[in-house]
Amino acid sequence: MGQREHPPVLAEDLGKKYSRGWALRGCTLEIPAGRIVALVGPNGAGKSTLMGMITGLLRPTTGRISVFGDAPNGRGMHGAVAFLTQAKPLYPQFTVTETLKYGRNANPGWDQAYAEELVEKAQVPFAAKVGTLSGGQRTRVALALALGKRPKLLMLDEPLADLDPLARENVLQTLVEECRTQKITVLLSSHVLAELEDVCDHLVLLADGRVRLAGDVSALLQAHAEHRTLSQLALAYMRMEVAA
Amino acid sequence: MTWIVWRQQRPVFITLVAGLVVAVAAILLLRAVMVADLTAGNLLDCVGKGLEACGPAANDFQTTWFDRLHLAEATVLAAPVLIGVFVGAPLFAREFEQGTHALAFTQSVSRTRWMATKFVVAALPALVVVLVYQLVVHSWLDAAGQLGPLSTGPFYFTTFEAQGVSPVAYTLFAYTLGMFAGAVFKRTLVAMTLTLGLFVAVRAVLTGVREHLITPTRVLSDDLDARTVERGPLVVESGFLDAKGAVVADPTPMMNCAGKGDAQGAVDFAACYRENGLAQRYSDVIPVDQVTTLHLLEASIFAGLAVLFVLGSVWAVRRQV
Repeated sequence: MGQREHPPVLAEDLGKKYSRGWALRGCTLEIPAGRIVALVGPNGAGKSTLMGMITGLLRPTTGRISVFGDAPNGRGMHGAVAFLTQAKPLYPQFTVTETLKYGRNANPGWDQAYAEELVEKAQVPFAAKVGTLSGGQRTRVALALALGKRPKLLMLDEPLADLDPLARENVLQTLVEECRTQKITVLLSSHVLAELEDVCDHLVLLADGRVRLAGDVSALLQAHAEHRTLSQLALAYMRMEVAA
Repeated sequence: MTWIVWRQQRPVFITLVAGLVVAVAAILLLRAVMVADLTAGNLLDCVGKGLEACGPAANDFQTTWFDRLHLAEATVLAAPVLIGVFVGAPLFAREFEQGTHALAFTQSVSRTRWMATKFVVAALPALVVVLVYQLVVHSWLDAAGQLGPLSTGPFYFTTFEAQGVSPVAYTLFAYTLGMFAGAVFKRTLVAMTLTLGLFVAVRAVLTGVREHLITPTRVLSDDLDARTVERGPLVVESGFLDAKGAVVADPTPMMNCAGKGDAQGAVDFAACYRENGLAQRYSDVIPVDQVTTLHLLEASIFAGLAVLFVLGSVWAVRRQV
C-alpha cells in the first residue's frame, strides 16, 4: 500500500453548502492519474465548487477530499497542482516577462525555459502589458504560467469560454499536446461538449450538485451503446436531469 | 516573492516618494523664508527666549508664522491616516476585488508568506516616508523655537502627536487597520472608509485618556493666589488642600471673598482663602522630562492594536470560504 501513489483527487461524500443552498452534495469520486478528465454539467451543477475545494480556496461543508494524499487547506495550494480559472486572473499592469518572473518567484519547481517556449509558440510579445493582450493571448500566457510550474494535476475551469473558435482550437491543441507528453492529469470543465470529444478519456458528469456519471469514456460508451459519442451521452444525461 | 510585491507596489512607492519630495521642498522653502524673516527682524536671539522677552517685531513674526507652523504640525497628524487609507486598505482588498488573490493563492508559495511579504514590502517605505516628513517639519518648528508652537510645551496635543515615536506608531496602527479591513471586507472602498472612520475615532478616544497612563507628580505651592501657570508640564488636575493635607472636593464656597476688601476695595485673596480653611494649592502634573515615557506608553497601545490587526489579517486571508 505504501508503494502505491496517491491518486490526484479522491473525494468522499464531499459536500458544499452556501447560504443559498447546496452546491455540491454526496460527491464521491476518484480522478485517476494520467487522464484527461472532462468535468461537464449544466450551469450551477457544482463544477467550479468542486474545483474550488480541490485548490483549497473553498472549504468542504461535509465529507473529505484529498489531493495527492493531502487535505487542501487555507495555507496554500498543493505544490503539484496548477489551476486556471474562468476569469484567468493575471496582474494587468505586469508585462508578459514580468508575469513569467512572477511564476518563477512564486513556484520552486518553475521551468523558465518551458514557460518561455509556450509563450513563444503562442506568438505573444514578451514586452506587452498583460492588460493589453487579447483574450486568446491572455489565455496562452495564463496557460504558460500554469504549466511552467510543472504540475502533476492541471485544473482548467472553462478555459475556452471567452475565445473565438480559432483560438479555442489552438489553446486546446497546445493543452493536450503538452499534457500528453508531460503525463499531466488534466481536469477540464466546459459547456461545449463537442470540443471535449476528441480530447478527454475520462468523464465526470455533475448535475444539480451530484455526480451523475463518472468513469472511463470508452467503458461508458460501451455500457450505453445507444449513444455513439461522449457529447450525446452527456447531453442525454443532462436532459434526463432537466426532465426530472 | 519580494520582487513580486515590489513590482505591484511600485506605483504606490513612486507616489509616496513624489509626495514626500514635494512636501519636503515646500517645508524647506518655508523654513528658509521664515529664517530670513527672523534675521530681518533681528529675532534670532528671541527664538530661545520666547515672546515675553522680545519686542513688537516678535508679535509681527507670530502673526505671520504661528498658524503656518501649526498647520505643518497638522499635516504630520494627517500623514498616518493617509497611509492607512491609500496603502493599507487596498493592500488585500484590491487583490480580492480584481480576483488576483486566486492567482496568488494557487501558486506554490504559501498564503502566509505571500501576506507577510506584502505586509513588509508595502509598510517599510510608508513608515520611512512618514518619519522623514516628521523630522523635516520638526526642523522647521525648531527654527522658530519659543516663538512658534513649541512654546506651548511638548504636551500640547498637536506638538505631542507630531513628535517622537507617535507619528510612526499612528502610521503602523492606520496601516494594519486598513490591511485588516481590506482582508475582511474585500472591498477597497469599504476598507478605505472604515479605516478613515475608525482611525479618527480611536485616535480621538486615546488622545483623551493618554494623560492617565502616567501617575502624575503632585506639586504643592503655598501661594494660594497663584495666577501664572507654568508652561510645559501637563497639568492633569489642580485644586486646594486643607490644613490636614486632604484635597478639598469643592473649594468654591471657601473662595467667596466678597466683602473682605480693604478701604480701597482691594482683596487679599491669599489671606482670605487661608482664613476660609484652604491651606495649600496643588497641581498634579506630568513633568516635561516624562514626555518620552508618555510617547512610548501611548505608542505601545497603538502597537498592540497593530499586532491584533496583523493576527486578524492572517486569519482573514488564510480563512477558506
